[in-house]
Amino acid sequence: MIRLSVNQTEIEFAAAPDTPLLWALRDHMGLTGTKFGCGAGQCGACTVHVDGIATFSCLTPVSAVEGAEVTTIEGLSEDGSHPLQQAWIAEQVPQCGYCQSGQIMKAAELLDFNPNPTRDDIADHMSTNLCRCGTYTRIFNAVERAAKEV
Amino acid sequence: MTAHMHLTRRGFLATGAALSFVIGASGLASISRAATTATQADITGWVTITTEGEVHILFPSTEMGQGSSTALPLILAEEMDADWDRVTVEQLDTDDRSFGNPLFGNVLYTAGSTGVSGYFDTLRQAGAQVRAVLIREAAKAWDVPAAEVSTLAGTVRHDPTGRVLSYGGVAALPDLDVTVPERSQADLKRPEDYRLIGQDHPRIDIPAKSTGTETYAIDITVPGMVFAAVACTPFDGVGPERIDDAAARTVLGVRDVIVLPEGVAVIADHIEAAFRAKETLDVTWGTPDPWWTMDSDATLDAYAAALDDPGIDRATWRENGDAATSIAAADRTVTAEYRSDYAYHAQIEPMAAVASVDADGLGAEAWVGTQTQSWSTRTMTETLGTTPDRVRLNVMTMGGSFGRRTALDQEYLRDALLLSKTVGLPVKLVWTREDDVQNGAFRPAAVQRLRAGLTAEGTLQGWEHRVAAPSVISYFNPLRWSQVAPNDIISMRGSESPFYDLPDMHAEHVITPTHARLAPWRGIGASYTSFAAEAFMDELAAEAGRDPLDFRMDLLQHNPRGVALLRRVSEMSDWDGARPDTALGLSFAGYGSSMAAGVAEVALDRDRGIITVPRFWAAVDAGLVVAPDNARNQIEGGIVFGVSSSLKERITMTGGRVDQSNYYDYEILRAHEVPEITLDLAQGTTPPTGIGEAGTPMVAAAIANGFHALTGKRLRHLPFTPDRVLEALEN
Repeated sequence: MIRLSVNQTEIEFAAAPDTPLLWALRDHMGLTGTKFGCGAGQCGACTVHVDGIATFSCLTPVSAVEGAEVTTIEGLSEDGSHPLQQAWIAEQVPQCGYCQSGQIMKAAELLDFNPNPTRDDIADHMSTNLCRCGTYTRIFNAVERAAKEV
Repeated sequence: MTAHMHLTRRGFLATGAALSFVIGASGLASISRAATTATQADITGWVTITTEGEVHILFPSTEMGQGSSTALPLILAEEMDADWDRVTVEQLDTDDRSFGNPLFGNVLYTAGSTGVSGYFDTLRQAGAQVRAVLIREAAKAWDVPAAEVSTLAGTVRHDPTGRVLSYGGVAALPDLDVTVPERSQADLKRPEDYRLIGQDHPRIDIPAKSTGTETYAIDITVPGMVFAAVACTPFDGVGPERIDDAAARTVLGVRDVIVLPEGVAVIADHIEAAFRAKETLDVTWGTPDPWWTMDSDATLDAYAAALDDPGIDRATWRENGDAATSIAAADRTVTAEYRSDYAYHAQIEPMAAVASVDADGLGAEAWVGTQTQSWSTRTMTETLGTTPDRVRLNVMTMGGSFGRRTALDQEYLRDALLLSKTVGLPVKLVWTREDDVQNGAFRPAAVQRLRAGLTAEGTLQGWEHRVAAPSVISYFNPLRWSQVAPNDIISMRGSESPFYDLPDMHAEHVITPTHARLAPWRGIGASYTSFAAEAFMDELAAEAGRDPLDFRMDLLQHNPRGVALLRRVSEMSDWDGARPDTALGLSFAGYGSSMAAGVAEVALDRDRGIITVPRFWAAVDAGLVVAPDNARNQIEGGIVFGVSSSLKERITMTGGRVDQSNYYDYEILRAHEVPEITLDLAQGTTPPTGIGEAGTPMVAAAIANGFHALTGKRLRHLPFTPDRVLEALEN
């Protein structure tokens, strides 16, 4: 059995120890806000926090996060009230929306470590996460907006 | 924030009776009064008004990120004068052609930036008729002349007496007359009276997409569901000949290995087991026809040779006057050839479908992202040999699409159905990224030759644009090809050069053989034809010793809106200003009737051959803009898509197999590479002409022209990868 702490809830389920955290979250726990994009740590759609660090869940075996605290988009706030989520809505960032959970989790890591990032800080930090719709500029604007409100 | 936070499906109405309006392509067709026990599923109208005043508006397109699920209902809500906060938007899940897109012969088809432009008249007329009925019935109930009754945001009012009735109140009136009123142009609102169109109302889908709660096909769970991964054939139309699945069957959680017409599937309890087992399959594929095993370089050479091969089919795409004679009589002739590689959609959600086939094998429910209810329904009925009444389609919001999910036959949906039928359980089929790249359906490779004359004074005289490319339509939708052949808008769009005065012009499709799976791709033909045309325009200006902007202005004497865009982008970019380390390139393209003028600032790492685009300025005129903020997001995204594809994106093939497999070898633009974009979007008074693809086609030539301004060298092969940049610098 695998025991994980996800969004401050202890969960136990049967899975091979090398099961990617992504699929444990999505298919074993029903947390589908975290997305599958590439399975190779290239697109960032699967980004979650492991002890506060933005992590590609597609490359992370569940055995590696036993004892750690995993936070997904569902755990970022109970009701979508996180400043980044509110900023995403205010700036009307998403188009298809598929990458945006990962983008928000990546941005949340940035603001945790650097509450007042410059535009270049934001662009560099967010360069791990692809957006095929091309909403990057709005992502920058939303991160700046949230930074002002945090 | 509004009450209708996301797209819903038809379900039970909470309570009460409702007034339902059915609208055909030509406007309101019938009105019905639903019984108090009716479910919404019984009501087939575009608009339903409940007695509580809730307005349900049907969304006939599908949502892939373009924002039509807000913009289309907004148009109808505007004309019926609904309270937008009481509107719920409902996804159309069936192939009901009475809701079809008039621009596609009423096929349910979301493509070509035609959502708003295709439905604009229908939705306005319908909304106006709904409003006329509400006024008529309120006037009757009050026993006053209809001319004294007006509406505002979900209420009907009798101005002389101040009486007010909500739309829900009208729906609840005891004696409703359900005859359809005459359509009248006079019932339409004047644009200056719009309070929804042209304003920035938040998109209905954004809250869910900002909280991880939007549901895509890949997120669907059905009780009892198993998972499928598919090793797909590398060659179209070829199935497996020999399969060694011994290792796959030993993977924990694997239930079965099943042969498909063009693949081998692993069925497992979890997707990770299915993926892992699929990797161990050893499949020998059948022998493909030789044209499926070409190297992509050889394909480009063959297409170049086809330009001079009289044995290849040709189709005139647009002809004005006599280009050949005009060029022959010119002072000078300029010719150039441009190449472009295959390109991949790279939408972040890989293909996925969930299917649950009925016990008799002749019916099914399916969940799939699709750009067409019509062809997904057809895929289901053809696969199962059944009739449309037996299929239940759930059209899912897509994690990007850009043309990928448009085909007549949708193999991912077909395979999910076949697998569910075989195993007798619901099946979720998911492609890996590698599957999605290697089984991709691509923008075609193309070779284009442009030839034009110049007068002694340096003005254009005669224009020929030949495009050697396969027919995309004949591949991805043979049914459509039988209707439109030999005119292929997907392969040729843009080469008509519609915005310039070209009295003697000829655009011709040299219809080359197909060597790869093909699909529409953002901007369709214009993504490469506008590259060639606008790069060539720059070469002509240089040959004539003219400023590229002035040279184009000469050709816009009948296009004042185009002139305004070029002037605007020139001001925005400080076109005439000097820059120390970078240079500017101009392009004037767009999509269909939407015009876009762009200037790229180009910077270059000469040692490594890496181009960057620090800034991009664009001026766009797409007529009336229904949802301006979303339109800006779309155009900016289209520009990013254009920069990405111009600099990085290239599918190559060896022996017909795709060489790339994931985002590490098919790279797309990342956050730190994105230009600072300045956009001027005109708010027009003419009908809307499409937004979703307008930003992309101008970009490639703007970069190539900026590169020339910086280095004096030409880039004539798209994309401008470092090897090509270095080669151009050495020549």
